[in-house]
Amino acid sequence: MRSLSYIAAAGLWLAPFMGAYADEPVKGSKEPAVKKPAVRPAPKPKQEAHTCSGDYGTDVLFEDTPSDAAAQAKKDKKLVFVLHISGHFEDPKLT
Amino acid sequence: MNALANPEVGKYLNENFCSAYQKVGTFKVVGNNKQGGNVAAYFCAPDGRVLHVVAGPVGAPQLLNEAKWVVESTKKAIEEAKDDGGKFKTAFRKLHSERLRTEHGLVVQPVTFDPPDPQDKDSALTYNDPSGAAIAPKLPPPPIDGPDVKFREKQDSAAKSMGASAIKDKRGRGWVLGNQGRVHMLLAAHSMNKIETVYGTVFENILGEKISTKPVEVTKPFSWVNDGKIKRAEAQSSEKK
Repeated sequence: MRSLSYIAAAGLWLAPFMGAYADEPVKGSKEPAVKKPAVRPAPKPKQEAHTCSGDYGTDVLFEDTPSDAAAQAKKDKKLVFVLHISGHFEDPKLT
Repeated sequence: MNALANPEVGKYLNENFCSAYQKVGTFKVVGNNKQGGNVAAYFCAPDGRVLHVVAGPVGAPQLLNEAKWVVESTKKAIEEAKDDGGKFKTAFRKLHSERLRTEHGLVVQPVTFDPPDPQDKDSALTYNDPSGAAIAPKLPPPPIDGPDVKFREKQDSAAKSMGASAIKDKRGRGWVLGNQGRVHMLLAAHSMNKIETVYGTVFENILGEKISTKPVEVTKPFSWVNDGKIKRAEAQSSEKK
C-alpha cells in the first residue's frame, strides 16, 4: 500500500511537467507531435464601407445655386439648406 | 464635412430640404496644412428668409438635431400663426429666445417688431459691391437682460462650447456664450430676415472670418520642390530615363 501511495504521489508531482513537453516530438519517433490549434479570437464582423450617395463626398444632394434650391423647395414644399463655406467645397480634403 | 457624409443626416436633409452651397470666404494652404476657413449652415424658408443657423463645424448628431428642430418648429409655428406671416416671425423669434434661455442660461427679449429699413439701396451714399448688391449690414443683437437662475449650470458649461467668448449684458455684467448661443441671440431679433442681411453678421461677427471672393491662397504651390530645387533622387531618375 505504501509503495502504491509513493507511486501515486510521484505521478502527481510529475503531472505538471508532462504538459510542458506535450507538443515536442519524442526523439526518434516518426509520428509528428500533435499541436494544439492556437486559440484565435472571434473575428469581428466586417463593417461595410459606406459610400457617399450625394455630391462632393457627402450624402447630401446639392443644387447648382441657392436660387435653384429655393425654386425646387417651393415646388417640393420643402425648406432650404444653404451652406456658406470659406474654402474649396469641391475638394473634400480642403473643406 | 463628416457630418454631411453621415447617411442619417444625408437622408433627413434630402427628405426635408433642398440644398445648395456658396463660397463666401477663403483660406490659406501653407505646405500641406490648411489655415483658416469656416462653415455656416443656414436653414431657410423657400423665399430665402433665415429660420436657423448652425455656425461653425459640428458633428453629425448635432447637425441632425438642429435640422429636426427647424422642421418641428416650423410646423409648430405654422399651426400657431395660421397663415399670418407676422405671427410666424414672432413665434420663431420666441423659440430662439427660449432656446437661449434653456440651453445657455441667458435671457433676451425677442424683437417682434421690425422698424423700416433706413438704408436706401439706390442712394449715392450707399456702397454696393461690384454685382450691385448692397453689402450685408451689421445686425445688432438684442441686449441680454441677465441670467436665468434655473439654468445657471448652462452658463457654467458655456465656457467649454465652441467659439466661447465673453459677452456683456445691459447692466455691464460679463457672461460667456459660444457660437450657437450667439446665433440664438442674433436670431431672437433677426430671424426671418433674408439670408443676405444675416450672413455677414454670422460669418464675421460670430465666426470671426472675413467675407471674401478671393481664391484659395497657397503659399507653397510646388510642395514637392525642396527650396526651389527639384529633389536629387527625382532628378537622377528623370536623367536615367
